Amino acid sequence: METKNVELIAHLMRRAGFGATRTELEELAAQGYEATIDWLFNTEKDDGIEIDLARRYHPDYSGGLGMAGFNAFWLHRMINSQTPLVEKTTLFWHGVFATGYAKLAQGRVLMDQIEMFREHGFGDLPNLLVKLSKEPSMILWLDNNDNHSGAINENYGRELLELFSMGVGNYTEDDVKEASRAFTGWTVANTDYMTMKARNDSLWPYGRLNLHFEFRENDHDQLEIDFLGHRDKSAGESVVDIICQQEATAIFIARHMYSFFVADEPPVPSWPYTPPRDPKAIEMLVEAYFENGYQIKPMLQRLFQADFFKDETVWYEKVKSPSEVVAGVLRLTGEYDDYDPAMNAEAGSVGVMGQSLVNPPSVEGWHWGDEWIDTGNLVERVNFASSHFNDVTKPGVRQMIDGFVLSTGGHASPERLVEVCLDQMGAVQISHESQGHLVAHAARDGSLEVNGEDAGRRRVAEMFQLIAATPEFQKG
Amino acid sequence: MATQTATQHLKYDRTLGYAAMDARGFYYPVSLTIRPDGQMFIQGRSHDGDTRGARITVMDYESNYGGDFGSYGSNDGQFTWPTDIAVDSENNLYVADEYLQRISKFDREVNFVNKWGVKGSGPGQINGPAGLTLDYEDNLYVSDHRNGRIQVFTTDGEFIRAFGSPGDGVGQLNLPWGITVAPGGDLFVADWRNDRIQRFTTEGQFVRTYGESGSGDGQLNRPASVAVDEDGYLYIADWANERVQILDPDGCFVQKIYGEATDSVWAQDYLDSNPDEKGARSQSDLEQYHLLDTDDPHEIASHIEPIFWSPICVELFDDKLFILERNRHRIQVYKKNN
Repeated sequence: METKNVELIAHLMRRAGFGATRTELEELAAQGYEATIDWLFNTEKDDGIEIDLARRYHPDYSGGLGMAGFNAFWLHRMINSQTPLVEKTTLFWHGVFATGYAKLAQGRVLMDQIEMFREHGFGDLPNLLVKLSKEPSMILWLDNNDNHSGAINENYGRELLELFSMGVGNYTEDDVKEASRAFTGWTVANTDYMTMKARNDSLWPYGRLNLHFEFRENDHDQLEIDFLGHRDKSAGESVVDIICQQEATAIFIARHMYSFFVADEPPVPSWPYTPPRDPKAIEMLVEAYFENGYQIKPMLQRLFQADFFKDETVWYEKVKSPSEVVAGVLRLTGEYDDYDPAMNAEAGSVGVMGQSLVNPPSVEGWHWGDEWIDTGNLVERVNFASSHFNDVTKPGVRQMIDGFVLSTGGHASPERLVEVCLDQMGAVQISHESQGHLVAHAARDGSLEVNGEDAGRRRVAEMFQLIAATPEFQKG
Repeated sequence: MATQTATQHLKYDRTLGYAAMDARGFYYPVSLTIRPDGQMFIQGRSHDGDTRGARITVMDYESNYGGDFGSYGSNDGQFTWPTDIAVDSENNLYVADEYLQRISKFDREVNFVNKWGVKGSGPGQINGPAGLTLDYEDNLYVSDHRNGRIQVFTTDGEFIRAFGSPGDGVGQLNLPWGITVAPGGDLFVADWRNDRIQRFTTEGQFVRTYGESGSGDGQLNRPASVAVDEDGYLYIADWANERVQILDPDGCFVQKIYGEATDSVWAQDYLDSNPDEKGARSQSDLEQYHLLDTDDPHEIASHIEPIFWSPICVELFDDKLFILERNRHRIQVYKKNN
């Protein structure tokens, strides 16, 4: 197998998924890049997630009393899904439309929102935004339950425009008011009881009660809206349709997509003042958006097929988010192909590293890129990876060591040790400087002999631990 | 949704329990067993993010609280992933744990007695003990679910025999869960992944199957538990269909129930002491089927409070059927119409 092909597929799998093992990369590379993209977008195939078993073994994966069970189940999906791009796109939308547990006090309603992203995340944006606007989690998160005819609450209308679609500078304050007016009467059923249960964090008497959308016509302002220069009937759907026709929306979504899948951009608040890193790439994605009736899937397909994505200058140009770090490591170690109570602690690690899923710091979500890394978080990331690669009995670690032995015959110079370990961890490329440090470290113990004895295998695992601490592994 | 067929074999009686990790209540309960004196033992599983509810709550039909025992962990008398609880003729209790791969025994005073179990597939070894029951000679039957078989032990853990094998053929089992010995003496197994109930003699001879995959009358979707009365009627926790079905001794459909929970005594006590919630609750409609845009029973059950959500265990006692709902942390009791 030509190395370059494997490395390109590895780049694709880091971005469109949560990484891949050396064996998986070889299988995908044998099919070729285009076929791999087709495989990634094939949502008809079984994702390999046995929901009946998940619910059987983990009550909170279905009951959703808190967020810990849901986070563990999502991490299980990231690690084991055979449709990794679906999970990655779901994570993408969660980052754009960040909604949090703190104000909802139940996991079940957040599970439903994430499932909606899973189901509709490749579809057309108007449908996604209408469904988002009807999600009870979003309604409570941004107070649309307090948005009444004659007494509007602008919170959702404003964030829909500012953070979810167009971005600051592309609408007026009057547009915010008109959008808000169109969403009056969009609320959750049994509003008083549900908001009280959330406020009291009450699971009594019989556990959480899932929320559902209710449209209250008698609380809906019927007066025609004047929104972004369009006069239309007052309806959330009308607002969404008009938003999705705007070039600003296409650019906004394209920048998010580029930043998430290609290379880190600065945080959203600076976008009005900072041009895109690659304006031509944004143009291509905007074209795909309009040529395909506001569909998301064609935008993503064009992105992964584009030279700007394949170009080596953007490889390792994205700092992995904590969920990518944890899911990526656990995919490699292969220790969670079954259900295990320890998954909760692994999901907790994602939060410790700064990304408590379904509990973002604010409606703005997380700031991605370099902001994932501070002194404390970096230590957590490195320690997490190191502790998992340390155990030579873990199936994935064992497989990587076996692959090392197969490649080297069990004899390796320090240089060869580093080279083959990088390859076994998913065709990882590192700088000459990083490689030099690793070789120097390996050289302290001289050449390596692995003859089925533990000491040799532990030295290989130690090299996996060191590679996991390199800047390139912490990026993707 | 809470309607039944005209037959009305069962009629709703009351709701027991409520969600709690300590004192009165249970938290993700998975099984219950009832002693002849009417004391109920409810096994709470809790969840991996908060394990305080892994314990056994004791109560009776009149909602008198009898204390609790056991806790999360792997020491003697503790549980990690408990699955089932059973009582023998001397009122000793047995708890299966599918993570620790062991059976724990407690005496009638709920003191820990002993434990056994080694992970494996050999005789006497187990891989995921999921269901427990005892026959009339106090032999203990274990649904060894990941081995796709039933194993029989003495009450001291001595291996007697095993039968069944993994698969979907006659007499084969796919991740079996709840089991019961019927008054007639045969063993009934909730053959979970095969969507059927299988009946064996206690020696392991296959007798027949009940049900098939689906959501229609008489069809099953991941049955978790089965009880059989003296007349040979089957009461099946049709887990993924979020309902309980009753079949007659010939396997013909009799009735399906979806639950109609009311406020239990413990729930009323909670609401009385939290008048704001009680007031808001009384103004709410907790059965808004018309606002749901799904036909997924699991999703519907998460929204509609009175109906079953994860009915995981059925237990007969006198003229009553006790239906334990894992995700609603309560028991709905139905009475037989005689």
